[in-house]
Amino acid sequence: MLNKVYDWIDERLDITPLWRDVADHEVPEHVNPAHHFSAFVYCFGGLTFFVVVIQVLSGMFLSMYYVPDIERAWESVYYLQNQVAFGQIVRGMHHWGASIVIVMMFLHTLRVFFQGAYKKPRELNWIVGVLIFFVMLALGLTGYLLPWDMKALNATKVTLDIAQSTPLIGDMLKTLLSGDEHIVGAETLTRFFAIHVFFLPAALLGLIGLHFLMIRKQGISGPL
Amino acid sequence: MSEQRVTRRQFLSYTIMGVGGFMAVASVMPMLRMAVDPVLQVEAGGDFIATTVKVDELTNEPTRVDFQFEQEDGWYTSNVTQTAWVYKDDKGEIIALSPVCKHLGCTVNWNSNKDHPNQFFCPCHKGLYEKDGTNVPGTPPRGPLDRYKYKVKDGVLYLSRRASAVRGA
Amino acid sequence: MKRGKGMKFVGDSRVPINNRKPNIPKDYSEYPGKTEAFYPDFLLKEWMVGAVFLIGFLCLVVVEPPPLERIADPTDTSYIPMPDWYFLFLYQLLKYSFASGPYNILGAFIIPGLAFTALLLAPFLDRGPKRRPLDRPFATGFMLLAICAIFYLTWEAAGHHDWEAAKKQGMIREVVEVDKEDPAYKILEANTCLSCHGGNLEGGSGPPLAGTKLSVDEIKDIAKNGKGSMPPGIFQGTDEELQQIAEFIKSIEK
Repeated sequence: MLNKVYDWIDERLDITPLWRDVADHEVPEHVNPAHHFSAFVYCFGGLTFFVVVIQVLSGMFLSMYYVPDIERAWESVYYLQNQVAFGQIVRGMHHWGASIVIVMMFLHTLRVFFQGAYKKPRELNWIVGVLIFFVMLALGLTGYLLPWDMKALNATKVTLDIAQSTPLIGDMLKTLLSGDEHIVGAETLTRFFAIHVFFLPAALLGLIGLHFLMIRKQGISGPL
Repeated sequence: MSEQRVTRRQFLSYTIMGVGGFMAVASVMPMLRMAVDPVLQVEAGGDFIATTVKVDELTNEPTRVDFQFEQEDGWYTSNVTQTAWVYKDDKGEIIALSPVCKHLGCTVNWNSNKDHPNQFFCPCHKGLYEKDGTNVPGTPPRGPLDRYKYKVKDGVLYLSRRASAVRGA
Repeated sequence: MKRGKGMKFVGDSRVPINNRKPNIPKDYSEYPGKTEAFYPDFLLKEWMVGAVFLIGFLCLVVVEPPPLERIADPTDTSYIPMPDWYFLFLYQLLKYSFASGPYNILGAFIIPGLAFTALLLAPFLDRGPKRRPLDRPFATGFMLLAICAIFYLTWEAAGHHDWEAAKKQGMIREVVEVDKEDPAYKILEANTCLSCHGGNLEGGSGPPLAGTKLSVDEIKDIAKNGKGSMPPGIFQGTDEELQQIAEFIKSIEK
């Protein structure tokens, strides 16, 4: 039955080459931990992606219980953490995942760097990778504010002060980020929420797509 | 070798499905459990809310009774006003009907339409109910009006927070 | 003209097959050794690593609940903020005199800006064909230096932070409203007790006074002579007032 459905679609769209290309490509020995244990360094990138998937999923589910409003944000986080079954686990996945993703990405970056894997022809993929790194840091920064507890508010004040000390455009930049010239409050929270939940993830998905596309196109760099 | 029942490729495929399934379940299960939590919550609203109506004051004629209670909606607590149409039937039993039309949820009123005296009338789509809440056949509603559970304590009428459907009526 | 499971087209206007990239798997014959297909051989190994990783991750999640401090209070200015750990090195950098004050631009923009730009443009700065770390000493050296700096700065920031106090200042507290019209409350206010112990004596940078187990005499003694990081001589009022506030503090239940 499933085969017939597949054939029906394949006859019209020729989807077989799409997945055959991914499924059949040969993976060289030197990245395979089953052959050389030291090849585990090649796992960091994949694990980073795995945590990103967990982050996206847990974030989607958390948003069922979260409101980006200064009067209710903390209440809703407190509620989901203490009253909802497994709320603490899911928030824990998102909270600790944010740290783990940074660690994994750091290790992945070091692996690529010390192997010189960014050399011609892979310069563009390195740049995309570093951009992903920046997006991740920005996600961590904006996500830190959302629970609206003491450390969230005060750390964000520091961040905004640093933004304000930018030469020439500092004041404008700060107002742009916080939504108000002087107050870190309601408008800041909604801005950070929108950036954390829509803008940055959209950028992240696009960049990760490019990253993978280039890996498929160029293959994995050879052994040292 | 060609006669083995499970080929190497099949074996690997099954193992992949197993490992992939484990990863999917282990990571998504807590999230799904969190999402379905409201469905699994047992309604705690078993308690009754005091109204301002004394049972002795109730007559054969439905009167409108409003009562208030504190409603907890996740992280949001608010005061909610519920309305009931209350009267005593011929046997002296108290009947407390919900004013929510069983068609599309408008609010019905007693005796509000001149063409339909002594009936509950819904202005939205001309739904009609008899005095005991039974829907008049040929009008839009799909069932009789819901009823509140009640309790009498010290002569005062207590009503349940929510009205429940009348079964088999 | 058959590809995949074979497709037939009506009114064919698509790009001829010859112009499309042939669907031939990448050839790794230049790296002799055992290559294997991505699916199912290699993917299975990757996913096994993923599964082990996931178990470890979930254990961490179950053991350590995510922290949540008390609700943000913009009026509480005694709170000492701390960024998430992966920003600590930047936070620490801004503490040094060569990177703050008049040189803030250096610490906040030029140093991190140079470092991150160098990271972004690494392939163009390190252009030789050699890949082994030892064959490109500058790239390796700068990266090791950067890593050491990041670790050192993070260590400095984390090591000099009072984690106990940080935990205390952010704790979710039960706040019981106190009678702010009481004359003793006015005396507390006048002697700046509330700026550290909180507007409802629930605690701040100082410990909570509400529900204290100390006796009236002990309270009087601490108010005059200080305790721990509280210096002596903060209370400036008369003995009568001292007795009054000590009894007031004692009377507040938690």
